[in-house]
Amino acid sequence: MKDRKEQNEIAISVKNVSKQFSIPHEKISSIKIAFINLFKKNASENFYALKDVSFEVKKGEFFGIIGRNGSGKSTLLKILAGVYTADKGIAKAHGLISPFLELGIGFNPELSGRDNIYLNATVLGLTEREIDEKFDSIVAFSELERFIDQKIKNYSSGMQVRLAFAVSIHANREILLMDEVLAVGDSNFQSKCLREFAKYKEQGKTVILVTHDIATVQRYCDRAMLLRNGEIAMLGSAEEVGNEYIYQNMSDEEKRIIKEQEMAKIKAEKDMIKAQIEAEKLKGKVLEEEKARLEAEKQRQAEEQKRLEEERKNKVAEIISVEFLDKHGNVNNAFETGEIIQLAMESNFSQPIQDPVFGFTVNDLSGQIILGFNTKDIGKKTGRCYGRKIIKFSFVNYLGLGNYSIVGGVGRITGEILAKKKDGAFFCSLNKKKYSHGLLDINVDVSL
Amino acid sequence: MAKTHENYKELVWRLARTDFKLRYHGSVLGYVWVILKPLLMFTILNFVFSSIFNFRNSGTPDYPLELLTGLLLFQFFSEATMMGMTSLVSKAQLVTKIYVPRWTIVLGSTMNALFIFGMNLIVLAVFFGIYHKVPTLTGIFTFLVYSIILYILAVAFSFLAAPFYVRFRDLSNVWEILLSVLMYASPIIYPLTMMPDRIQHLMLLSPFAFIINFAKQGLINNAYTTVWHFIWLLIGIIVAVALAYLVFQKYEKKVAELI
Repeated sequence: MKDRKEQNEIAISVKNVSKQFSIPHEKISSIKIAFINLFKKNASENFYALKDVSFEVKKGEFFGIIGRNGSGKSTLLKILAGVYTADKGIAKAHGLISPFLELGIGFNPELSGRDNIYLNATVLGLTEREIDEKFDSIVAFSELERFIDQKIKNYSSGMQVRLAFAVSIHANREILLMDEVLAVGDSNFQSKCLREFAKYKEQGKTVILVTHDIATVQRYCDRAMLLRNGEIAMLGSAEEVGNEYIYQNMSDEEKRIIKEQEMAKIKAEKDMIKAQIEAEKLKGKVLEEEKARLEAEKQRQAEEQKRLEEERKNKVAEIISVEFLDKHGNVNNAFETGEIIQLAMESNFSQPIQDPVFGFTVNDLSGQIILGFNTKDIGKKTGRCYGRKIIKFSFVNYLGLGNYSIVGGVGRITGEILAKKKDGAFFCSLNKKKYSHGLLDINVDVSL
Repeated sequence: MAKTHENYKELVWRLARTDFKLRYHGSVLGYVWVILKPLLMFTILNFVFSSIFNFRNSGTPDYPLELLTGLLLFQFFSEATMMGMTSLVSKAQLVTKIYVPRWTIVLGSTMNALFIFGMNLIVLAVFFGIYHKVPTLTGIFTFLVYSIILYILAVAFSFLAAPFYVRFRDLSNVWEILLSVLMYASPIIYPLTMMPDRIQHLMLLSPFAFIINFAKQGLINNAYTTVWHFIWLLIGIIVAVALAYLVFQKYEKKVAELI
């Protein structure tokens, strides 16, 4: 009895689902290749798109699935929709599903919008009479009244999504699967969709949303799941999962940069060893020639080095590094709200400069400047600078949840900019509180 | 994860209608082609074989009618199998972006040929009038029964070949060639009686040749096969359908990943 009740409350249950894909190194698309491959060792490798994934979604829940590209989101959605079959495990839906994977489902570019509505709605299980009844409402929702007898191929991608979405919600099914659809529509349509989702929720229907847009997930979803390399990295409230995703992306970015640096180092070492081995290998006549060539090469490199150094000398100043430090003076890239961020900027002056101006801006990822600061504005004298100089700024992190970049700069007191450093300085603002709206996170007091 | 989709019938019907709508879409003559295509082919073949080879005066007085009937049946079969075999790929969107039972896609695609065949039957009736030939009721009935059997055969082939076509696109080329082999190995452009007895028996082992021959014979010459032969044909068709069902059932699941 209790079991049945629970069953009634669950919309989707996924138990230990795994899905493996084999990636052939060569696509077998003709008999000839298949025939040749019979004699070759199987040139393919397997990889897990999903590994032992289990979760449940209750009826009336708004559930978000987030993750980076290739984390298995779409595969999972396709298994839920029944397009793929899982290798292992069970995925069950209690109720009819209206899947909405990528752009329009049965859309045929040669048919008119009208015909496509009929086609698409039939695919979603509506009868002709039902479609007749709902037709006007579908068209009204899509806001395509004027274009409805035009061929779909003349529609913009936004128009196609609108039409497909309109049909999809009129299909009146219990579970709605949405894959990245909100990304295409304009903001008006997006908010309309989200309102529609809210209505869905009220009716006790379930919405599963796959997206990269953390803000949407945090604002609308009850719960969310973070996928990483085919496994569930986190399952919990939308707020927490969203924060975790941002944090992970941040550290991924860091790892990538470190890896790149390491790779460059390894490559340089390898090149050196290679050159040494080559020099040893070549003996006799060849050795002479090669030696001469290497000598010439060395000379050329030395000249290049000289030229670079001279260029550097001509440059009055440069910024060598921008680093973030926490209160203990350790390098850190993630700061919670209210924490003090220390910014250490190291610069090099090749000429003595009297009272140079140091400054920085904090930008969000779209490049919008959120905070700008320089030493001139507050009338700070920096003295005579020559050679290396480290300057530290510190400020309290009142930034909202997200990733931010820093641009550091050095200039003369006259306003002439001497150097700027744009790349590589990112930090992440974390927010462990339950709310986070907008760019800033400032404490607000309330009194009655 | 299997899901229930409430009305397959309407889905198949809608898919078939859409296909038919799109078939001659963008051409000036539009649906006229449905009739024009077999007529042009008939005119050419009839000219060559009636006038030059003189089949008409060598034992088959109704040669033009036999030719037209055979051609229509052949075209029916070749269209249905071609559309059915390629259906999963040509409607890949329905396979990869949503779940609808895949058999609806295959079946819906073959129905296009059924529509065209139906329209062509009117042309056939007109030609019977022109040549002052009135078929018997039994003849018409057998012809329709054979047409249905032919359609079932085409559908079975489609279900058999469609999952493999997803993987091996060569199949359409191979099948095209096999179809022309099938055409010349069946009594379509020449009368069966032209062949030596032994060869005739051999040819009729092919269910396709058997169906075409006796559909024609019933309609034009009021001649029929024995009950036993007909039962053998039915058994063959049942085996083909069962095989197609099993194969499709097995390979259908992997189709979405391979497209």
